[in-house]
Amino acid sequence: MTAAAQPRRSLVVLATLVLLALLAPDKALAQGVQYERPVEVAPQQETIGGGYVTPDVQKPRPREYWLEVLDVVLLAFAMGIAVWLVVSRRSRQWALGLTVACLAYFGFYREGCICPIGSIQNVALSLADPTYKIPIVVTAVFFMPLVVALFFGRAFCGGVCPLGAMQELVVLRPVQVPRKLDDALGLLKYVYLGLAILLAVQPAIARDFVICRFDPFVGFFRREGFAHMMFIGAGFLVLGTVVGRPYCRYLCPYGGLLSWCSRLAKRGVTISPAKELDCGLCANACPYGAIEKNRAVRKECLYCARCYASCPCETSPGAAV
Amino acid sequence: MSDGLTRRDALNRVARGTVLLGFGGTAAFLIEKADGQVVWQVDASRCVNSRLGEVGVPVCTLCTTECVVQQSAVRAVNNFRECGRCYICPAYYNIKSAVDEKGLPSEKLCPRDAIERQPIGMVDPGDPANNFYEYIIDDEKCDGCGICVKGCKEPLGLGSIILKVRHNLCVDCNHCAISLACPKEALVRQPVADALEPTLATHSTR
Repeated sequence: MTAAAQPRRSLVVLATLVLLALLAPDKALAQGVQYERPVEVAPQQETIGGGYVTPDVQKPRPREYWLEVLDVVLLAFAMGIAVWLVVSRRSRQWALGLTVACLAYFGFYREGCICPIGSIQNVALSLADPTYKIPIVVTAVFFMPLVVALFFGRAFCGGVCPLGAMQELVVLRPVQVPRKLDDALGLLKYVYLGLAILLAVQPAIARDFVICRFDPFVGFFRREGFAHMMFIGAGFLVLGTVVGRPYCRYLCPYGGLLSWCSRLAKRGVTISPAKELDCGLCANACPYGAIEKNRAVRKECLYCARCYASCPCETSPGAAV
Repeated sequence: MSDGLTRRDALNRVARGTVLLGFGGTAAFLIEKADGQVVWQVDASRCVNSRLGEVGVPVCTLCTTECVVQQSAVRAVNNFRECGRCYICPAYYNIKSAVDEKGLPSEKLCPRDAIERQPIGMVDPGDPANNFYEYIIDDEKCDGCGICVKGCKEPLGLGSIILKVRHNLCVDCNHCAISLACPKEALVRQPVADALEPTLATHSTR
């Protein structure tokens, strides 16, 4: 035996010891109960005896269907009221009241679900995938605000949408975003819309519903949520104090659809050429850059009625002749 | 001028009509496809924790981590009709833990201690191994991690515990966040009547 073989043998011994050490936990486990399933069939109450009665499995029922239909009815009703308050009554206070009421119901009570913004993805997927069905309620919630926008503009945004309402309430000192920057940023929402639809219609393994995942305010409605989304939501609210409704104007994909539809609107917030004073107070009052050359732009107007509240003709009728 | 305005109005009207028709058609297509009220539910035959034939994979806890509700709306449910009522329940006890002085495993399986155990029927206090036991999962404590579901699965148990969406907790998202994460597409929309019934997991090819 050579001297070189000695250390080799000790290496083998060492390796064996290490192996044994690695296997040791398994040995400890093997000392547990040697488990064998004692029964092949579930004993029923007759077998168990002693007056035992098998309890029912707890089955909490979902929300009643009529309540879901009520949501749809309330949505339609709220949009009707919004149109009436803003277009006919021209009342900023009442419009704000409706916004707060809808924030309370659709936002904090219904916790932000069901929402037309997220339903874009469901509708897109249901159109693309023959096996994917969506409830009738979702279809209704998706189309109703679009139909209203076709006739009266974005009444949903101003009157009903809880995400919009969150931002509506924090508008403190809005600055006018330069027109070109406003237009350029406004294109972002179409990019987001395209991206959301593209990701939603993917096969299940790659599918993602980004609008819901990156909803900045739903965490507030539910009083719980991922920390990073709460942070982004708070960021939007802080930004919203100086830039009016940043999410709605630059990111909301449903806002993009509504904006397209509202181009065709028959009626809406209007500054009538015959009665105006050319004072430009309304344009200054609009935090959303929706008054251009003293004319309301339907596709940008978010139905807040601030222009009417600022108008001397409206506030003191007869003063302007 | 007035002529131009009316032409514009007419064009607008035509465009609006076209868009409305488009909306109507799409909505009709979607409604035709839909079938009444549907809710999210876990398909036990797809869920990796409960379906048969899925061996050697770790417990999937995505239902706990992905749900938008803080303490997930998915909870484990024991279907009492199918429960073996074992003395040593593989979902209640960690059957790999060391045996204590009573001859029972020393550790429980549930990390939240949500399963309660009590003898039922004609109880023989002198011979605990000869009694039937009821295992009740505390709805308040359970967060749907699925560890007990896997514990109860064949061949160890009878597979009476499965994961279920609790509809009183589920906010019925447009698209369930768990379903997006679930590798087996086990979160499905079901008609209410089906979704409430406890089912037994089967083999699945998905």
